[in-house]
Amino acid sequence: MKILIADDSRVMRQIVVRTLRQAGFGDHDLIEAADGKEALDKATAEKPDLVISDWNMPHLTGIEVLRQLRAAGNNVKFGFVTSECTPEMKTAAEASGSAFFIVKPFTAERFDEVFAPILG
Amino acid sequence: MSVEVEVDESDLAEMVEQVWESYLDPEGVSPLIPTYDENQPSEVHSSVSITGSWNGHVVYASSRAAAQRAAAAFLAMELEEVSEEDMADTLGELANIVGGNVKAMLPPGAQLSLPQVNLAPEASARFPNAQRISGVYGMWEGEPVSISMWQSSTDNKEEGA
Repeated sequence: MKILIADDSRVMRQIVVRTLRQAGFGDHDLIEAADGKEALDKATAEKPDLVISDWNMPHLTGIEVLRQLRAAGNNVKFGFVTSECTPEMKTAAEASGSAFFIVKPFTAERFDEVFAPILG
Repeated sequence: MSVEVEVDESDLAEMVEQVWESYLDPEGVSPLIPTYDENQPSEVHSSVSITGSWNGHVVYASSRAAAQRAAAAFLAMELEEVSEEDMADTLGELANIVGGNVKAMLPPGAQLSLPQVNLAPEASARFPNAQRISGVYGMWEGEPVSISMWQSSTDNKEEGA
């Protein structure tokens, strides 16, 4: 499977990649995007099977990326990894078709719990 | 009417503990040991601002050695491989994580800024019209680390309407 990791923080992208490996998902094809625009472009062009996105990013926020993808008929599995988690954000994410919401800081166990059903 | 801060020192301490458990000390061998010394020195710091239902700043400060160690842990590299950029990015992410968690505990309608990083002591930082209202101060493997919240007095004006 191809997984797109979108986060404007290089450090956090690296932590997400490492945590995916620790949780046993390191064999998947991992690609990265450094802001919301790049996330939208890559989610469209590279056709990933899963998008793991930050919420607050320059150019387009994560929820804007998700909404634009859905508006374009793209139903890629999409969810958030973010340090911000308010009930309003969760509701907005779910209403837009988000599959999961992981709050930073996270552990490999949390990744396993969320991604095992998705990635097998 | 100003908004009562709903994030106290024990909340901050819990967030900090989670950061240590997840990233800085996953083995549970080198926790942040509290000193309760709000005047402990720092050499670098980062911050995020929160505006809206609460106005203020969340500040992460530490020695350079502690920042290097944090970057090495975050990026899974050796201490000697850590560059200034690695250290700055890590400090920014630390402020972002704690700030995001603080925001989640505030009343709805708070906005989080992107992080700012300054490779200079926290004592050199100026947050106009803001005062420190709580903080967690400790030593991590003998190096000072602190996380504190600064509340802006503009809260009173903006919430008065």
